Amino acid sequence: MTLAGAHWLTPVRATGRLALAALATVGAIALFAIRGLTAMFIGPWFPGQALRQFIAIGFYSLPVVGLTAVFTGAALALNIYTGGGRFNAEQIMPQIVALGITRELGPVLAALMLAGRVSATIAAEIGAMRATEQIDAMRTLSTDPFRYLVAPRMAAAMIALPLLTLVADIVGIGGGWLVATLTLDFNPVVYARSTVDFVEAWDVGSGLIKAVVFGFIIALMGCYQGYTASGGARGVGRAATQAMVSAGILIFAMDYVLTTLFTER
Amino acid sequence: MGVVVLGLATAFLVYLFTAGDFGGAKRSYPLFARFGQVGALAQGADVRVAGVKVGTVSKVTLDPATFFARTQLAMDPAVKLPTDSTAKITSDGLLGGAHVVIEPGGSPDNLAPGAEILNTQGAVDLLGLIGEVVRPKPAPADTGAK
Repeated sequence: MTLAGAHWLTPVRATGRLALAALATVGAIALFAIRGLTAMFIGPWFPGQALRQFIAIGFYSLPVVGLTAVFTGAALALNIYTGGGRFNAEQIMPQIVALGITRELGPVLAALMLAGRVSATIAAEIGAMRATEQIDAMRTLSTDPFRYLVAPRMAAAMIALPLLTLVADIVGIGGGWLVATLTLDFNPVVYARSTVDFVEAWDVGSGLIKAVVFGFIIALMGCYQGYTASGGARGVGRAATQAMVSAGILIFAMDYVLTTLFTER
Repeated sequence: MGVVVLGLATAFLVYLFTAGDFGGAKRSYPLFARFGQVGALAQGADVRVAGVKVGTVSKVTLDPATFFARTQLAMDPAVKLPTDSTAKITSDGLLGGAHVVIEPGGSPDNLAPGAEILNTQGAVDLLGLIGEVVRPKPAPADTGAK
């Protein structure tokens, strides 16, 4: 009896195959990211493409991001009011809301909404081009798909998401302010002033750094899943779903890593 | 829709940074009050008489000569206060929400615009008081012994 045919080795073999496949995927994504970044930083560029993507990613995501932020800010304010009430410290609510929104919820929520909206769109778009062999045609015409498709989307997402995060920060604090003044009897002017006096540039800045990274993840996962899609229409659908899910998970993981780096001890 | 979101965000941002700046002091008259300690009192805080809002704190500055905090109050013109009124700083909660409470006196004369309220009582530093109870300061004779 040879070792290769042994039944008791099947689970080991499956584990090994899974591990190798996972490593291969990580490597492929890393290579894809490097190729995309190289195309982004070293021309020739396609500014028209980048601008079109910037408008599609940034401007048309404003309503979604704004609505998400205002409701989150409002709910956060109520919860912190409850929590603060247990220490008789309801009055520090504006400061905690501002910190929570700028450092954490603004960038993460904007990124998650964008992961759902943009990552899937990019994957479906590029996946459909892959399925209809447009990407191969592009290469035949000696247009580098990384320069024409991937780089503009990466640049657009990395610029658009910080701007969206700024809007989410402001609108989120606005949501907290609305609830605090309309239902919790806070003085609107004092709430505004304590927010402005308390928030430091680094609170907003660290959130914006997060947003740049998240924007990169969103574009990367969308492009990668679309670019490697296979199997026709079903493959495109699968690519869209996987782009969204993987972007979401990576955003949360990177958020933890970045927050660890940003936390002074 | 995107334009609406941008517009609202810009408007709120402008509000955040300009709230509490009383430029023209529209339809209000100024009063001044000096406090030994204003605590958490901030620009824009309420001024109340008998629990009713009658004005706002428009400025909090330090008097460099006496090290007292000098506050400017923008008062509702309909409310005339007797000259012997008392201004106190109290708070809604344990750690903040400070506002000015004015207890009207009994004098027949009223405070003119720009006048100063002479009877004042500053903010009580609650945490400082707690600290003194928990860890009392040593008697003056003991200082330096350590």
